[in-house]
Amino acid sequence: MKKFYEIGQRPSEIILHPAGDSPLARRRLPLTRRHLLKWRSRTNPKTLQQERMLADKRPLWWAIGLGALLVAAPFLSNPMLTIAAIFCIFAAINVLWTLVIGTAGIFSLATLAIVGIGAYASAGLNIWLGLPWPLMFVAGGIAGLIVGGFLALPSTRLDGLYYALLTMGFAEICRVFVQQLKVLTPANGSINNVGSFIPADWQLQRPGLLLGFAGAFVILLLALLIFRIVNSERLGMLLQAAREDEAFAEATGIDFRRARLHVFLISSAGLGVIGAFYAQFYGSISPSIFSLDQLMLLFAMIVIGGLGRSEGAVIGTAIVVLIDKGLLNLGPIRILLVAALMLAVTPLAHNGLVGIREQFRGWRNRKKSEARARRTEKGGEVMPEEAIEFADKQEIYYRRFQKRLRDRLKALITPELIEEHRQRPLGQHSDALNRVLNHFRRGEVADKYAIMRQPGQFHSYKIVAFSGVRGAPPRLVDDKIYEDINQAYHAVFLLRVNDLMES
Amino acid sequence: MDISVTFINGLNLAAIYGLMAIGISLLWSSVGMINMAHGATFAASGYAAWLAADATKALVLAAFGKGVLTTSVMAGITLTAGAGFGALFGAVIYLLAFLPIHDKPNFPVRSLIVTLAINLATVQGLLWYFGPKQKNLPKIFGTGKLEVLGISARYDQIGAILATTVILGLVLFWLRVSRKGLEIRAMMQNPEGAVLSGISVRWTALPVTMLTGALAGLAAILLSQTIFVSPTSGTMPLIKGLTIALLGGLGSVPGAVAGAIIIGFLEAIVGAIPFLGQRYVLFATFVFIITVLIIRPRGIGGLLDEARK
Repeated sequence: MKKFYEIGQRPSEIILHPAGDSPLARRRLPLTRRHLLKWRSRTNPKTLQQERMLADKRPLWWAIGLGALLVAAPFLSNPMLTIAAIFCIFAAINVLWTLVIGTAGIFSLATLAIVGIGAYASAGLNIWLGLPWPLMFVAGGIAGLIVGGFLALPSTRLDGLYYALLTMGFAEICRVFVQQLKVLTPANGSINNVGSFIPADWQLQRPGLLLGFAGAFVILLLALLIFRIVNSERLGMLLQAAREDEAFAEATGIDFRRARLHVFLISSAGLGVIGAFYAQFYGSISPSIFSLDQLMLLFAMIVIGGLGRSEGAVIGTAIVVLIDKGLLNLGPIRILLVAALMLAVTPLAHNGLVGIREQFRGWRNRKKSEARARRTEKGGEVMPEEAIEFADKQEIYYRRFQKRLRDRLKALITPELIEEHRQRPLGQHSDALNRVLNHFRRGEVADKYAIMRQPGQFHSYKIVAFSGVRGAPPRLVDDKIYEDINQAYHAVFLLRVNDLMES
Repeated sequence: MDISVTFINGLNLAAIYGLMAIGISLLWSSVGMINMAHGATFAASGYAAWLAADATKALVLAAFGKGVLTTSVMAGITLTAGAGFGALFGAVIYLLAFLPIHDKPNFPVRSLIVTLAINLATVQGLLWYFGPKQKNLPKIFGTGKLEVLGISARYDQIGAILATTVILGLVLFWLRVSRKGLEIRAMMQNPEGAVLSGISVRWTALPVTMLTGALAGLAAILLSQTIFVSPTSGTMPLIKGLTIALLGGLGSVPGAVAGAIIIGFLEAIVGAIPFLGQRYVLFATFVFIITVLIIRPRGIGGLLDEARK
């Protein structure tokens, strides 16, 4: 039996076939107008069967990835479990950072500074004022909000790289400031023995690590939820409009500066909470969180994954954390590896690893349209993408046959052949001339040439062309009068050869 | 605290920061690239100079004996090695961060990322190869003090100030009179117009990156007279240079000079005030810069509309 290969996108789509008369019932998420999955119904025009297609498969990928991490966690070794927890924390930071850079379009490098300030504020309150650990999250969030508000002041006036460099300087100030605080000098700038959601006697034990991972996973989920709510609801829509055309957005009454500020404040508060979690997770916090190297490593994560997309932030974090923490025995080479990855990804991919798919599609479409342009030059034939416009597919094959036939015949036409016809328009001909003449004789009636004897005159001919419509008279091709019938035959032949060569 | 010491300190800091800031500013305005690998250039040229000095020290000592001649020959070797390696490193940055992506979309951010990666790789590579131990460069201006007009200054301070003035003067002179300088200035004023009048972006960017690299190398040699060469020694000059370039307005050379002088003196003065002291130097600097940027978003000498977007 002949094997048919499946072509196109359809085989890889997720398609359900509900009964044709079953109504579409989609559940909404409680308290929102959102659906969990994006199902689209249609009737298949060929089979006339009702089908339901999953139009956006990304939620499935998220569920598979995060679910796999969650299921695998209890079976991981202790070091791997710590790495997984660190991955979750950094991924959460990066997702919120993506919100600032991608959604709000503020190129801020103060992310880790805000995390650090949240961590220091909450840890300090815990140590010196005895704040219990659940309230540390609130304290971290408030600290992040305050610092975010302070940092947001210049963000509306400065643009792009100016703001990036300024915030980088801010991180450096924080580091120096913390290191030189008199209270912290004995511990070299760090705060130790911070209260934690992990009980003290579980620290660095298996249950403690598992609890730590669970907490980090929850933090990651919360960060993704914030990303989803901010990026694809009202604030995100306003900012998307502003990204496309700022002046237009402003003219339609969108206050995009305010929206940017809101996104910045929301993510700053989130980062502060992550900072409090960070301090609890390690039980201590040190000035190295403000260091430029750590910031660059985090930046490498979102750059390798792809700026402005939550998938990019998470994938990039996974790769860099695996290299940085998983290959500890490589020493400084692993940072070189990260840098090499950055150097490879940035010039080749327009937007990180998650952008490669779209980039490849863009490239393939360009190649396709180039090929299409080349085919159009050949003329006459039906192009594959036009085929859907013909109801009678026989027409396509007829045209293709005709085109190939014309190509063959064109190759036969030579000066000798024309000369042969000129000498003897009628009678026995060579094989090539016979083939050409047969083709001409079988042509369609419309625009077919004919010889008309001039009325009332003897040996006087003109060339006409049939209209192809019953009742419509033929039209005169030119005014030339031929005195000899053979000359007229040859003139018709030349006209037809001319048409053939031009087709 | 003596005012004259503060003055000399301020001038010294201003000279070195100026070298870094002008390099960053020049590269941004002519090529449109924020060079985050400037600190890496700084550190790497410091190491190159140290290697060159280390390799030739015995030879020079044997040839010229102890004296002024040895010092000056060593100074020549160190400066040449530093500036030369800086220029080479600039060419590497050009090859990696400019040439492959300069006509692709989103060039400023992508070149920033690539230069960051170069910075990361260089610092880690140096750390891996040389270890975290600090290296000591030869004192190219000798050691000692000099009294001029009642102001006492160390040789290395005077040397740094004079050398920077001479080098910056030469660079600005070269930009003003030479054919290449004309092309670079055309690029700074209007990149599209420059391209339309037949100036090649690629062949203009190469000398600019090499020149700024050489400036960073010289800054490394001059600063290493007071501090040591270490893998991470480039970070602070990079941040200072960037913020001064910002303060002066990215792309404005006079602005960068003014910014360097203001910041140099600010640091020296804040460091000299008893109740503030060294620990608040950075803090005061950044507060000052943020204030200036809020008042003038494009810096002191920044051009509002003509500046690169």
